[in-house]
Order: sequence, then structure tokens, then C-alpha cells
Amino acid sequence: MLADVERNIEKYLYREARLLDERRFEEWTDLFTEDGYYWVPAYPNQTDPYKKVSIFFDDREVMRTRLSRLDHPNVHAQKPASRTVHFVTNIEINGDHDVDGEILVHSALQMMEFRLDKQTSYAGGCRHLLLKTDGGFLLKWKRVDLINCDGVFPPLAVPF
Amino acid sequence: MTSYDTNTIRSLVQPDRVHKDFYINPEVFEMEMERIFGRIWLFVGHTSQVPNNGDYITTTVARQPVIMSRDRKGEVHVMFNRCTHRGSQVCLEQFGNTKRFECPYHAWVFNNDGSFAGAPYPKGYEDGFLAKEKLDLVKLPRMEIYRGFVFVSLSNDVPDIDEFLGPMKDHIDSFCDRSPEGEVEACAGVFRYRYDGNWKLQMENQTDVYHIMFTHVSTTDEDGKQFRREGAEEDEAGKVKVLADNSTLDDQWEQHPLGGHRHGHVYMGRFAMDKKNSGPVHDRYKASMEESYGDKAEDLMTVKIHNSIFYPHWSIQHLTQHIRVMNPISVDCTENIIIPLKLKGAPEEMWRAALRSNNNSHSPSGMVMSDDMEVWVRCHEGLKTQSTDWVVLARGMNEKFSGVNTGSYESHGTSESGARNQQLAWVDYMCDES
Repeated sequence: MLADVERNIEKYLYREARLLDERRFEEWTDLFTEDGYYWVPAYPNQTDPYKKVSIFFDDREVMRTRLSRLDHPNVHAQKPASRTVHFVTNIEINGDHDVDGEILVHSALQMMEFRLDKQTSYAGGCRHLLLKTDGGFLLKWKRVDLINCDGVFPPLAVPF
Repeated sequence: MTSYDTNTIRSLVQPDRVHKDFYINPEVFEMEMERIFGRIWLFVGHTSQVPNNGDYITTTVARQPVIMSRDRKGEVHVMFNRCTHRGSQVCLEQFGNTKRFECPYHAWVFNNDGSFAGAPYPKGYEDGFLAKEKLDLVKLPRMEIYRGFVFVSLSNDVPDIDEFLGPMKDHIDSFCDRSPEGEVEACAGVFRYRYDGNWKLQMENQTDVYHIMFTHVSTTDEDGKQFRREGAEEDEAGKVKVLADNSTLDDQWEQHPLGGHRHGHVYMGRFAMDKKNSGPVHDRYKASMEESYGDKAEDLMTVKIHNSIFYPHWSIQHLTQHIRVMNPISVDCTENIIIPLKLKGAPEEMWRAALRSNNNSHSPSGMVMSDDMEVWVRCHEGLKTQSTDWVVLARGMNEKFSGVNTGSYESHGTSESGARNQQLAWVDYMCDES
């Protein structure tokens, strides 16, 4: 039974990563609940997105703006577009998260990005708070803690 | 390679055009480090980045690592991050709190005001050597603080700060006075990013209204309005957007006020918004401003300036609420530091909205900044070609513009007067052989 749940979560995270790599941003946005959010803090160990700056802190409205921008014919920062591959590994269910209907999942994430002859790699710890639904899961939030979150960045476009 | 003297430097800047070497020549860049960055007031940070005694941040000034600290008496210091013994940087944390900085090499220690606090095994030195040798961490030659904005100079021989800032001091005032307490706070950390292009490409871009509707076309919706940039969350004001017609150079952009002053400082007037700020949060803000400033409140609350671009390397972005520092790393690499600013005493909802606005537009993933950086990199690459030697900056040449770096001017719309004003100052600094 637990193995089935784990397998389903694994499949869910793999699909989420694939939607980003295939630039299916609208479908990716639809993974989130209406009040869901995507958060990439700019400092380690953050507990509140309103205390410090964030590399991404997107509610559905900002997600839609950001991701529809990536489909705009004149989004110069993505012409040509980045190619990415997201690796998801070290998947663990957090046994201490005891809220009915929710599953907190830890994973490790690596994203390789290639654009204009340059290959860049990002890595970090990832947390997904999944809400169980009839058909599968919805994302209440996804949080990525990059190991270089407070480092110096090149411009970013594709979510981690 | 050309060796640059006053004449060749002067020849790079023509009234309506500038030579590509201005941007891409490494020798010119080294001269800039000496004659511009080495001689005038530079921005380091804001005192609110070190709010408590013992707080410090590390950063760089003109490629040199420095520490800004607050000592046990509350005084702010800016000193080179270099042990006076064998040269090691004494601190590598981006920020923290400490009584002392200890060098990792031989454990020489320095108090948080930079004063030398001791070296292990002092008997190895001749009697009295450690006492008489000047071993304190070396302070930057000059430091001045205006309303929490910390300026330093790498040279003792620098113009008076008031004279240097001139009317731009009013721009700092106008930002700080939007706070009911008359203070801004840099309390949310910073963003840092780099692009592979010359620092001046960005300095000129910030005064360029002409590019907005083209470079940033992907950030506007079908109505031509840009995403939320100002206001408070959960408030009518939170829906205020930048209004932009992305298909034509309409009157709104062409009439947009611009201006500048001597020493290369320039500014852009406030962008038109689709409506006035209003709602319960705005009302609370208004009430607290009126309590502090009485009849002047309404005027002080009104954002009149979009950005104030202080020569040579920093700006206040009034609408987005941040300080932007542009630190040259090399002729073709620039590091940005974005420092969001809170209006002390204003409703928390406004700060939450401002912080989110900074995340959305000016983080490394920022929807505005990333298109700008793309363009600067493309410019830098394009300028390296042998295609033509000149960059044309002739827009607005028909308007009244004194053409000398002596006083203030006003301009409007998509004119390239801002870049020209910066370049006139550049020539004066670069050709000053005193």
C-alpha cells in the first residue's frame, strides 16, 4: 500500500518535471491549487516569504503572468529558448507531517539548462506539499532551496 | 592597441554618437577605474543593513572587497577586507554580527570598528613594534552618510558630497519622505546577479524611455498594461499597473519627463499608472503621513520620480522601491546588487506588495530585468564587431540641451539626452589629469 503511494508520488514528481522541460507551462500552473504557490527563497532557512527577498514567490496570478510571458513571441530573454532537464531524486515522504489529506514530500532536484552555447547547472532541496484528490494530487506549494540561493545569478527564466 | 590620452578619450564621445571603444576597450575600462571610480563618491550600502551594534556586511567597491560594520558605540565604518599582516580577507560571510574579525591565517584580531586588537605570540616582534605600527584595518579614505545612504571615496581628494550630489539630494529626500517616519529600511536582504556586458550599457538603459515598449513588450497584457508594480496587497491600490501602449510611441511616452544635473546624474519622471492609489490600506497610509507631515503629506506621498540615476554606478528605483548598485567587474562583466527598501512606519501591506513587486520584476528571474540583461549582453557582443565604430544617440538632439556638463537640464520622452549627459560627465572625469 505504502509502496503504491510512493510510486504514485514518484510518477507525479516526474511528470511535473517533464511539464517544465517540455515548456508546458500552463499545464504546470494547473498542478497548483487556486491558492497554491511556488517559492524559491533567496536565503537559506527561510520561514516567511515576506521577511526576505525571493528568487521566485509566485501565486497563481504571478505564475500565469510569468508563464504566459514565456509564450510571448517577443520574450527576448528566451529567444532562443533555454532547454532544460530537471532531475528528481532522493524522494522521501515526511512522516511527521500529519495533516489529513496532505502529503509532504522531500526530494533533491537538479536542473541543467542550456542556452546560447552555455550550460548551467542548479541544484537544491525540494519540498512539495501534495493535496490528495480523487484523481491524484494537487500542489498546495512547491518550495526549492537552491544550494546557491544567496549566490550571484545569471538571468533565470524556467522554474526549477 | 591604442594608448589613450586626453585627445583620444575626448574623440570617443561626439555630440550625437559614441565610439564602441567607450564600451568594449579594456584599457578604457582600467582608466575608468582610476579616473572615475577611483576619484568620486561611490555607494556602499544603507546603514539599515547593519541595524545593530556589531552587525556587518561584506561587499565590493570598485572591485575591492570591503566590510561595512557598526561598532559597539553604534558608529558605522567602511574598511578594506584585508588583514594588515599578510593580506588575507578577514571575513567572508555576506552579513553577520561580531565583536571581532579574526584573520584565518595567523589569527590577528580586529575590533568591529577595525582597530587592531592583537596578534598571537607578540614576543616575536621587537618591543613596541605592534603598538607603533599602524595595524588597524584600513578605512576607505572618505566616508559620508546622508539619510542612511553610505558613500565612500577611494581618494582623499574628492569634491564635497553636497556639491557632488547637488539637486540629486532632493531625490534621496523624496524617497525617504514617503515614509511616515522619514526613514527607509533595507531589511529584506539583496539580490545579486551578473551580466556579460559593460556597466555603462545599464547606466544608459535606466534613462532610456525609448526601449520600454519594445524590450519589455512580453511583460504587458493585451491592453498594453504591465503587471502590478505598485500598491498594497488586498487593496484597490494593489491593482495599479504601469500603463503602456506597446504598439505605438504614443503621447504618454513622448511627453514623459526626463532630466539631469552636472556630474552625470540623470532621472526619469514617474510612469503613468492606470488609476490612482486608493482603498483602506492607502487611507491608513495617508492618515499616518498626515500625522507626521500635516498639509505636506499629500505631496510627499506622491511618487514623482521613476528612477534617480546617480553617477557613476547606482540608482534609486522609486516605483519598485529599491537601490540598484552596478559594480563593474571587468570591461565586459557587471554585477548588480538590488536592495529593496521599506518605508518605515507605512502599512505592512504596502511593504509586502513592494517586496513581491521586487521579486517579480528585479530578482534574477525578474520579468523586467531579464529582458534588459539580454539586451545589454547582445549590445556588448554586437559592439565587438568591425561593422561600424559608432553608436548613435541622436534622439532628441533637436531639443534644448546645453551639451556641456555644467548644470541641470530638462528633457522628455524617448530622448537619449540622459545617456549624452552621462557621457559628457565621463569625458570630464576621464580627461581630468589633476
